[in-house]
Amino acid sequence: MIVALELLPIFQWLGELLGGLGLPASWIDPIRYGALGVMMFGILAVVALFLVWWERKIAAHIQQRFGPMRHGWHGWYQTIMDAIKLLQKEDVRVATRDKAVFFWAPVVGFVAAFLAYIVIPWGDGLIVADLNIGILYIMAVTTFTVISLLMAGWGSHNKYALLGGMRSAAQVVSYEVPMVVSVLTVIIFVGSLSMVDIVKSQQGLIFNWFVFRLPMGPLAFLTFIVAATAEANRTPFDIPEAEQELVAGYNIEYSGMKFAMFFLAEFVNMFTVSAVAVTLFFGGWNGWEFVPSWIWFLFKTLLVVLLLMLFRWTYPRLRVDQLMEFAWKFLVPLTFANLIVAGIFKYLGWYW
Amino acid sequence: MAELRTEEFVVNMGPHHPSTHGVCRLMLTMDGEIVTKIEPVIGYLHRSIEKICENRTYAQCVPLMDRVEYVTAMSCGYMFAGAVEKLGGIEVPLRAQYLRTIMLELNRIASHLLFYGVTAMDIGAYTPFLYGLRERELIIDLFEETCGQRLTYNYIRIGGVSQDIRPDFVPKCREALNVISAKMSDYTGLLNENPIWIHRTKGVGVLPADLAKAYGVSGPNLRASGVNYDIRRNDPYLLYDKFDWNVAVRPNGDCFDRYMLRLDEIMQSIRIVTQALDGLPDGEIMAKGVTVNYKAPAGEVYHRVENSRGELGVYIQSDGGKKPVRVKIRGGSYNSLMVLPHFATNRMIADLVAIFATLDVIMPEVDR
Amino acid sequence: MTREELAAYATEKFAGRLTPLATGKYDPLFLVNDAGDLLAVARALKEDPKLQLEYLCNAGAIDTGKIDPPDKRFEIHYSVASLQLSLRLDLKVVLPAGKPEVESLQPVWPAADWFEREFWELFGIHVRNHNHLGQFLLPDDWNQGFPMRKDWDAPDFVRMPEK
Repeated sequence: MIVALELLPIFQWLGELLGGLGLPASWIDPIRYGALGVMMFGILAVVALFLVWWERKIAAHIQQRFGPMRHGWHGWYQTIMDAIKLLQKEDVRVATRDKAVFFWAPVVGFVAAFLAYIVIPWGDGLIVADLNIGILYIMAVTTFTVISLLMAGWGSHNKYALLGGMRSAAQVVSYEVPMVVSVLTVIIFVGSLSMVDIVKSQQGLIFNWFVFRLPMGPLAFLTFIVAATAEANRTPFDIPEAEQELVAGYNIEYSGMKFAMFFLAEFVNMFTVSAVAVTLFFGGWNGWEFVPSWIWFLFKTLLVVLLLMLFRWTYPRLRVDQLMEFAWKFLVPLTFANLIVAGIFKYLGWYW
Repeated sequence: MAELRTEEFVVNMGPHHPSTHGVCRLMLTMDGEIVTKIEPVIGYLHRSIEKICENRTYAQCVPLMDRVEYVTAMSCGYMFAGAVEKLGGIEVPLRAQYLRTIMLELNRIASHLLFYGVTAMDIGAYTPFLYGLRERELIIDLFEETCGQRLTYNYIRIGGVSQDIRPDFVPKCREALNVISAKMSDYTGLLNENPIWIHRTKGVGVLPADLAKAYGVSGPNLRASGVNYDIRRNDPYLLYDKFDWNVAVRPNGDCFDRYMLRLDEIMQSIRIVTQALDGLPDGEIMAKGVTVNYKAPAGEVYHRVENSRGELGVYIQSDGGKKPVRVKIRGGSYNSLMVLPHFATNRMIADLVAIFATLDVIMPEVDR
Repeated sequence: MTREELAAYATEKFAGRLTPLATGKYDPLFLVNDAGDLLAVARALKEDPKLQLEYLCNAGAIDTGKIDPPDKRFEIHYSVASLQLSLRLDLKVVLPAGKPEVESLQPVWPAADWFEREFWELFGIHVRNHNHLGQFLLPDDWNQGFPMRKDWDAPDFVRMPEK
């Protein structure tokens, strides 16, 4: 099932090089995979850095100001400077913290954010591992972030952080249901959970993509994107980090590199849910053939990320109980109704 | 089986907190998410202005008054100058009164624009903050050209104003007002119909009118609860009874009404300033015979002004000497904060943040 | 009614309990003859149908510094208003220097709550029947007396030179 590795010429060359050096065969694959992991990590780090910069510029232009302008052309390496600054900061640790929990919370969050990228299809043949439970794996792994939020809240020994952690746990768990059901609505028509199969079944241009092809596609996309905004803890659902209420919520006691890990994990999560939305609804890497497939994927994902950013800088924040009410009393019935309609359509064959 | 016992815990909101405007400490007793008891603890910004004033001559007290409520420093300066003028029976020239009215109303507009930005930001919408401040800059620039200061103006003196406006003040002011009234539709369009905004502010934090009157709440908070009382109309000072304007009143007393009422007041203030600019006469800007060593005759007076936060009043007792015997200042936020524990309990902390933001409390008035 | 009519009406209605004072330069100012009568006068002012003074604007204590005679040292000045009838009236109470005490006006005007806390904390005027006298504006560990009194001194209190 490891499709990508063979097709990607670099890894083929690396395999031949290592073989030529006389390494035993059982060592070549781990080293190749290790190199692949490092490369993925590098790509994602660059993506996260780009997203942070982009968010600041978008926010600034919505608010009629400029954003970062000093470090580089229009501040392009501002984020690198911020990362260096955070690295130099003193790691302030509360004396009464729960040491193990406090330490491992950002690690868990960071790892959970990156684990999803094993099955994200970046382009035609560009996927780390095309698991046949692809989308189910992503849904499972993205839930790990709530563990890290709870750990952060508990380990900080701070009432505000604990409140933030508990609220976020409630929020993420509540919005899992509409998100998964929206995904299911599309999966019914694909017949397989593998990400590559999902993209392949949307081959072609716009009107083959699920959001336009299926009658319940637009609604499923809307419910998915709303639930995904809540999963990624973004405004209007950013209660866990509501500065004005709980002074940064769960990550209030974190400074320096630990804080940077939470921060980057949030942006990586945002990219993950956008990538999933693009894969499911907008045809993944499909587009006109004269542009490479990974450019299409990046372009579409960044458009969805732009949508999430516009949400953040336009809408006020929902109160916690209103948020829960919205999830359980509105989104869940709506998505289930959508699913039932999708099931009926599939059974009667009213799709192409 | 053991009973599940939940405990109430005490959380301190502030003094360092992004959404208690200024250094206000609220000790909240919380039962989960619900706030059951609020106790405001104040005094973090107590600068003993009243005691200092007992040790200064009347003219030396005037710049101190700007610091009483620095967001609307013009009103504070006028409050003190008006009180001393009542004590001494000073006749202020007409041009100075027009200028004072214009400056007070411009300051009200600036303060309400700041309120708009800060309230929206507290409830989670970050962008209106910059929109409000962008328009406020137009007014602050006018002030800077007139008196050199952006925040604590020291412009209104006993007997008049300190300097005359520049020749290009009037056209610039008219243009600024045009821009602001055009942008008002942007502000209301961004938030008013937004379901999230409506859920967060409509029906939230209703301040009943009789509770407001009992606790001395004044200004926009009182009018948003349906009480039609505005010191500019009921107990006129300066030239408010000569202009054609309406008192904005809203019936419900929830957060949405308090927020919309201040936007309504901006429109009314724009009317007042436009009329004042149209009728601005020439003349003196300072009363004759008022020097820097002015000694108010013996007597006592309480003079009050309709500030953008409520009734800003000063009680001065003079014994004919160089320094006042007592200066007691009363700010609108004092009473708003006093009534907060009586109507904002038994709701979630997010609502408390919304209520506190729409009450428009700023601490220098409370602590002095 | 105008200010003159208000002054005349209140003088006549409360003759013997309130004395009009000439030092009030704008709104009518009345001295409450007996400090113990203050609560009853306040209630009467609030309930009088032609006055309806239900709104307390301001309440401030004054230390006049007059130590001779000592029974007129402290004064408390209340500014009240009627919102429906647009009236304004001021009241004054004179308290002796020894152990100044005044009755809390919270039952009549709940707004007096925080104003009266300042009486105690800054002047040392005890307010009877107040539910929460204690630390208010000053720091928690304040032990240097009542700062707003004219005879209060502290090592770092600088008086401006008389010139």
